[in-house]
Order: sequence, then structure tokens, then C-alpha cells
Amino acid sequence: MISLNTVRIDSVAEAPAVFEVAGGDFGGKLMVTRGTGRAVREALAEALEALPKGGVLYVDTRGVELMDYSFADEALGVLVSRVAGGEYGERYLVLIEEDRDLLENVEASLRQRSLAITRVDEVGGEPSIVGDLPSHLADTLRAIMDAGSITNADLAKKLDLNHTACNNRATRLSKLGLIHRKIETAAPGGRQYSYERIA
Amino acid sequence: MSGVLTLGSLDPALAAATRVKGEPVVLDLRSVKFVEPAGICGLAALLEFLIPRSEEVSVALSGRDVPAYLERMNFFQLFGDRVKTNVDVASLEERQRHNPGTLQELVNFHTEVEIPGVVTRISEILENRGYRLRERVAICSTLSEICANAAEHGASEDGFGAFAAVQAYNHIVSGARRRGEEVLVAIADGGVGIRETLSQNEKYAEHTTTDNDALRCAMMMGVSGTGELGRGGGLALVAQISGRAGGSLSLRSGAGRVTAYHDRKNSRTVPEFPGTFVRVSLPRKLETPPQEGP
Repeated sequence: MISLNTVRIDSVAEAPAVFEVAGGDFGGKLMVTRGTGRAVREALAEALEALPKGGVLYVDTRGVELMDYSFADEALGVLVSRVAGGEYGERYLVLIEEDRDLLENVEASLRQRSLAITRVDEVGGEPSIVGDLPSHLADTLRAIMDAGSITNADLAKKLDLNHTACNNRATRLSKLGLIHRKIETAAPGGRQYSYERIA
Repeated sequence: MSGVLTLGSLDPALAAATRVKGEPVVLDLRSVKFVEPAGICGLAALLEFLIPRSEEVSVALSGRDVPAYLERMNFFQLFGDRVKTNVDVASLEERQRHNPGTLQELVNFHTEVEIPGVVTRISEILENRGYRLRERVAICSTLSEICANAAEHGASEDGFGAFAAVQAYNHIVSGARRRGEEVLVAIADGGVGIRETLSQNEKYAEHTTTDNDALRCAMMMGVSGTGELGRGGGLALVAQISGRAGGSLSLRSGAGRVTAYHDRKNSRTVPEFPGTFVRVSLPRKLETPPQEGP
């Protein structure tokens, strides 16, 4: 049983929830095997479930020196797949990691699963994507990230798409856990969707 | 037996072992002058196969260097009381045990839980030897992936689990003579083998007609016996890591042996033997010395 006391989670109001993977009792700098990956994933899932709806859990792997494929797939691949499957409601994952070799195994696992995760160098840093995202979805995501927050109508205009196609793309991104998708009431008596970046 | 104890040079012995029906066996290694990790792991798996099938197993060695190396690699600690030998092991034990190139002595393991400890120890040794992070990651992730495969699929009838050994050389051991260093990682398990594991997945029916077909298939991304999403990435990445470093990944299972280099794969048929044997070569390119001026 993994105690959350072993994990540094900063949940002070307004401050982001950050899970330091190398900071727990899992394996320090060397993260190998599915067994270790499973333990980390269970602790991550617990931290994710503790977040309010719409919350973002930053997974900080910067202290890890080595992450083998088995670990990466079991800890992150499986978890991202469950987030995309809606298991944690509207709660999101963001990876804090620099652009280095370690990402290769995370990338390989997510590509196997046709999934992707948002990555930042640090909290508040410029987001990018690790994993597999078709180019039309990547373009849509980039437009949402650039805007920070944008309505479906504005996004459709920006991407030169009809509203339905635009909404379909954003719905897919939202299901993958890469953006927030909100329904807003629009006068008169209508409703419109708006999208927000998660990091 | 040729002068080098490696996986290939054990083939005649592996073939003969499958014909043993209780009689005493002598494994004549007197011509062996050099032992590499795949040789010692192969020898360990061979002995585990022979011991329950033979009245008495003897290992004949000659000279001092090979017995001393086997002793330093913990070979006699693991097999000393189960095989007869012409070597005075007690005298070898008195020698200094220091062996700077050994990253992992012959180790017997049964479960995945034992792997992080092995990897951590090797990473520390490599760090002390001046290996860069990138090189350490390549060696350690190679070892952890193939050990994990052995722990998962290596459950054997004889119950010996798997053996691993890792050795660093200050010269190139595999292939053409060239400047550099090399790390060899080897694993041997007594499990059902790669073809039978992949046969559990109907998707690969066409790729499991022969052992060599199955071995080639197992090196592809996402190929696994369970077909579970996300599985079957480890071996493909080990092939990529070794290929990128200018080395190779060699798999021996059943009657097949496939070696993958960065640009090609070689297959050959070998004597049928239970279990799976893995050998990974990771050459280390030395920094090019600064060129002298004209």
C-alpha cells in the first residue's frame, strides 16, 4: 500500500498539484519494471482522484534518470489511457519534463496506445505534446493553446472549418484529456462551446 | 568446444544435452580461453537442464584464468556443490575478487522485484567508471527490459528462473576489430520460449511457423503473447538502442537464432534447446582525440 505521505503534493489553493515521481519511495532516480510502474500509477491515480473536478495533476519526472519502456507504459501509458477513457472524470494530467532521451519511452508507450499527454518544461511553461496526435488534431490543439481560451465559433473561424467539424475535433481533444471543454449559454436561448488549454 | 565460451560455441553441448538419459556427463571446457556473459549464462542454463537429467555432471576446465574468472563471476558459488570439477575452488576463493570490468556477476533471479536492485547497482558502477548518463541509461534499460521478459516468461519446468551477467570490456569484443569499448549483457531462462509465447496470440499465427520467424516477429514494436495494448515494446526498443550504438541484439530460442543490427537481421537454425537466451552488445564509442594541426 502506498501512502500519500511519501508523495509531495502541493494542493494549496491556487497552487498546482505536483507529483514528484523521484520524490517517493518507488525507486528514486531509476524507474524500471512494470511492478514499479504499477505502484507509481496507483499513487498518481489516488492523487488525481483527490483533485476537484477540472483539476490538473502535474507529474514531475525531472528527477528521474532512467525510465524503461515497461515502467513508462505501466505508470503513464495505462494512466493516460484511463484518463482518456473518462475514468477520472474531468481531471487532467500534465507531464513536467525537459526535452530529453527519457521521453523516448513515454512517447513509444503513448504511440502504441494512440494517445498523447501535454508536456511542459516547468509549471507555467510553454506546452507541447508527447505521444501520438494526428496532425489535424495537433493543429487544433495548437490553436487552442495559443488562444488560452476560445469559443467554438472563433476557433472554427481561425481554422477555417465549419462549426460541427471544429466541435468534433475539440470533443476528441477533450476526451484525450488535452483540453477543457465547456458549455456556455449564449443569448438568445442558445448554447455554445468554449475550449481552454489545461496548462 | 572452441577457445571462446559464447552462446554459439555452446551449440554442440546444447544439442548433446537433450539426448542425456540419466548417464553421467562430462562437459569438457578445457579448450576455453575466454568466457563472455552469454557463454556463462548459457552454461548456467545448460547445467540447470543437465543436473536433474544426469546421475553426475562434471565440468572440466584447464589453466588458471578461466576457473579464476568463473569464480569471480560467482559460478562456483551457484554450481560448486551441484557439479563435479577438476578445479581446486578453495584456492581460487583466496584470490582477490576485484574484477573491474564486471558489472554484474552471474545472478540467478526469479521475479521482477529483484530487477531494480540489480539495475541500481550497475548504474552506480557505471557512474563511477565515468559512463555518461545517456550510456548508463542505454545499458540499464536494456538489462531491465530483457530481465523483465525473462522473469515474466521464464518460468521453467526445472524451476531455475533466469540467469543474467554483464561485463564491460575496454576493447571491442564483437565483430570487426575497431577502436572502442563494449558492454555485453546476457540473460538465459528456462521458460517455454518465444515461439510458444507468441503462439498464444492468434494474430501472429503466420509468424510462428518457425522459431526464427517468431524471433524476428518478437523484435517488432507492440508484438506480445497477450496482445494487450502497450505490451511488447521492450525488446523492440532494446533492438533500437543496441542498433543505434553500433551493436546488436541476439535472441536464441527453440531451434532459432536471430541477431539484429541497425540495418539488418541475420537468422540461423541452431540445435533445439528449451528456454530463451539473449545477448546484447553495446559498443561505447570513445571520444575522437583532437586532430593534430598540419
